[in-house]
Amino acid sequence: MRSEVRFSSKRLLLTLMLCACSVILLQNYSVPAELSFTLKLCSLLLGLAVCFICFLPAVLLKKRSGGDLLSLVSRRSMLEQRAVGVFYAVYFLYASLYFLTPYCDMFCKKYYPDASPCLVAFLLLACCVYAAFKGANAITRFGIFLFVLAMLTNILMFGGSVSSLRFDSGAWAIEGGADAFARGVNYFATPCFIAAIFVCLAGEARLFKLRHPLIAVALTGLKFALVLFFITFAVGEYAQRQEYQTFVLSRVAHFGSFAGVESFYMALCTMSVFMIISLLLCCLCKSFNKSGSLPFTASFAVAAFVLHFIAASNNSVKEILTDPLLLNIFSICASVVVPLLYYFRSSFERSRHA
Amino acid sequence: MNNSLSELKSILQTRFNNSADLSIRYISLRSDQKITAAVITIEGMVDKEELAQVAVNGLLAYDFKSSNANEAFNIMLYSVLASSDVTSFSGFADFSGIEQLIGYITSGFAVFAIDGVERMIAVGAQGYAFRSVSEPESEVVQRGAREGFSEPLRVNMSLIRRRIKDPDLVFEQVTAGEKSKTQIMLCYLQSAVSQKLLDKLRKRLDNCDLETVLASGYLTEYLEDPHTSRLFSGVGISERPDTVCGKLTEGRIAVIVDGTPAVIIVPRLFVEEFQGVDDYSNRTYYASFIRVLKYLSFFISIYLPALYTALAQFHPEYFPTWILIKTANSLSRTPLPVTLEALAVTFVYEIMKEAGLRIPKSLGHAVSIVGALVIGESAVSAGIISSSTLMVAATAAICSYVTSPLYPPVTVLRFGFIAVGGILGLWGIVLATALVLISLCSKTSLGVPYLSSISPFSLRAMRDVFVRSSWRSLSKHTIKVQNFAETEEK
Repeated sequence: MRSEVRFSSKRLLLTLMLCACSVILLQNYSVPAELSFTLKLCSLLLGLAVCFICFLPAVLLKKRSGGDLLSLVSRRSMLEQRAVGVFYAVYFLYASLYFLTPYCDMFCKKYYPDASPCLVAFLLLACCVYAAFKGANAITRFGIFLFVLAMLTNILMFGGSVSSLRFDSGAWAIEGGADAFARGVNYFATPCFIAAIFVCLAGEARLFKLRHPLIAVALTGLKFALVLFFITFAVGEYAQRQEYQTFVLSRVAHFGSFAGVESFYMALCTMSVFMIISLLLCCLCKSFNKSGSLPFTASFAVAAFVLHFIAASNNSVKEILTDPLLLNIFSICASVVVPLLYYFRSSFERSRHA
Repeated sequence: MNNSLSELKSILQTRFNNSADLSIRYISLRSDQKITAAVITIEGMVDKEELAQVAVNGLLAYDFKSSNANEAFNIMLYSVLASSDVTSFSGFADFSGIEQLIGYITSGFAVFAIDGVERMIAVGAQGYAFRSVSEPESEVVQRGAREGFSEPLRVNMSLIRRRIKDPDLVFEQVTAGEKSKTQIMLCYLQSAVSQKLLDKLRKRLDNCDLETVLASGYLTEYLEDPHTSRLFSGVGISERPDTVCGKLTEGRIAVIVDGTPAVIIVPRLFVEEFQGVDDYSNRTYYASFIRVLKYLSFFISIYLPALYTALAQFHPEYFPTWILIKTANSLSRTPLPVTLEALAVTFVYEIMKEAGLRIPKSLGHAVSIVGALVIGESAVSAGIISSSTLMVAATAAICSYVTSPLYPPVTVLRFGFIAVGGILGLWGIVLATALVLISLCSKTSLGVPYLSSISPFSLRAMRDVFVRSSWRSLSKHTIKVQNFAETEEK
């Protein structure tokens, strides 16, 4: 008898929402500076709409079969299972590096200038292997603690910046080129990687409702909008010239003589990236039907470390690994194209049997 | 089995390897048929005086007239030994079979056998010395009962039954220990307990392959869920009957082990470590204040020395200026780096604590003086350790006693966090926290998530987690522990 733990879909979506929010924590010149605040909000809305659309195929599969894509694929031939497994493994590995690389970069540039990015990556990945080994259920439970930390950090970060707010009427104008707007939409659509995670873990979530992903995406949008608002009006021009603007926001936040919110920001960033990579490694193992296998998880973590090591010394590799467009194309394939393919295929087979 | 007493004696002597404490006394009954009976006991396990006065003297005085052996046995069973004086003993049964006989006499029963009769009579005349019911030293309360569990199983059962006078309360007997054959009672409320949890517990006790079970601590490892972190215990221990009764109403199961006052309670949740009997006797606002104090103490005892070392070593800018000057001044006079200093002070404190627990009381004062004056004051004045490090270590040590059941994991974590904070700074502490949290999040106790009511989150359960709501609110819905269990078997 196989014992399988299923957890509430609310908890899974809360965890995914926290994963999505970490995108804005690690932003580095990603939001086009030439866009006005209004257009930034518009591009945010469009980007998150794409993100919500990415959830729909997984929702369709979940409603039809009650499971996820991988359980549907497991009924197919071995060759097909392997092919889909390899595709998702490459995707999840890429997504892990998409977060690991900027995190290590930010950490070593802004927080510990003496630290080696490879050592930071190694230690973080080692911890992620342990978390992935413990499974998605434990990670989603961890998400509740991270939610509390995120709330606290946000209150400190935004509350501490209120006194610095200076409203610039020009920021509300509709200014910025179409190219910048498209780049903005592209960047704000990166949270759609959570839809790909949902494609793999939907089978473990119970009591699912369509409003859950909608609320998760809406809350992500709210967090993004607040960060953009405070960066634009509390830090202003100074932030535009700095790397990792959210870090800058946390550094300028203060309550009288009390400052040092950046340590909370660092804690939130570390825990968020830890959770994302653990969840991605978890999905990666699941795509090969090897959930809970420590050697398997560790081998992919080693692969991620090697790729990170290469990226640390080679800028062109680093650019590929941190390209939001590439991640979005990959995410749309993983969360929309492949699930829809299987959805229509199973519909066709069902109608043929009928 | 042969029904003759001599044969029975030789079997018993063989089984007990001629052990000196096996006692078989023959008595001749007053009868025309010359009937011989035997009283079989284990020395020191029965109250000989009471047994002689109430049972044996009555038996010797009774005239069995012309009854044969079988008739005499029935007279003994239904008339002589069934008198009110004898039935005041804690147990009375007739049985047959050598295994049952051994079971009875090793449990302190006196067994009466008649030559030529297969059946025997067991009389519960336990008379061994045991500690009386007294207040447990480890769970002292300000308001509440002063009674604690004792060693004999029956006494402990009665302490629970006296508090829950409902037929819903069930005691289920099992045996553990191949050699010790220790009696164990599973205690639960039939209407509250989950059958799934109960079956799981029975299975784990069945799988216990210990030769001897001398204390409840022997079983705790067997009752923990496999493949989960062992840092925090998923098995609760209490010596207070009122605590156990409270837990039973929430659907938990108590495991009472004969010969030990520590009763096991499963499943055990993390939040329970911060709940005490006094919380429910005190006023709501004060109980809530104490609860918050306990949580704060728990975090201070783990994090304070680690944060101190991390900040002093990597981020001194986070200290307010006046503290920074004093700390820097104090640390600059000592030879060791702050991390080693904090580890050394904490380590010496643990040694002193262990020594204090084990030395005779008369020497306790001497050790206190050595600890406080020599190691504390002299080390600071000699410039071996800094006063700020000593103060931080002492504060953390005192805080760890506020939640005494968590002392072992807190101590280990404190050392780990100091080392990580000293090597990797705040980042290391964050990473270590993430690891500990993941380990706790994956832990279960009998399938119930260990962090239940916090994660998985339950708003209703929050009435008794960080604060304690009023009894009116708590009594509305009793939250059963099995509600937290998420496992679904497919």
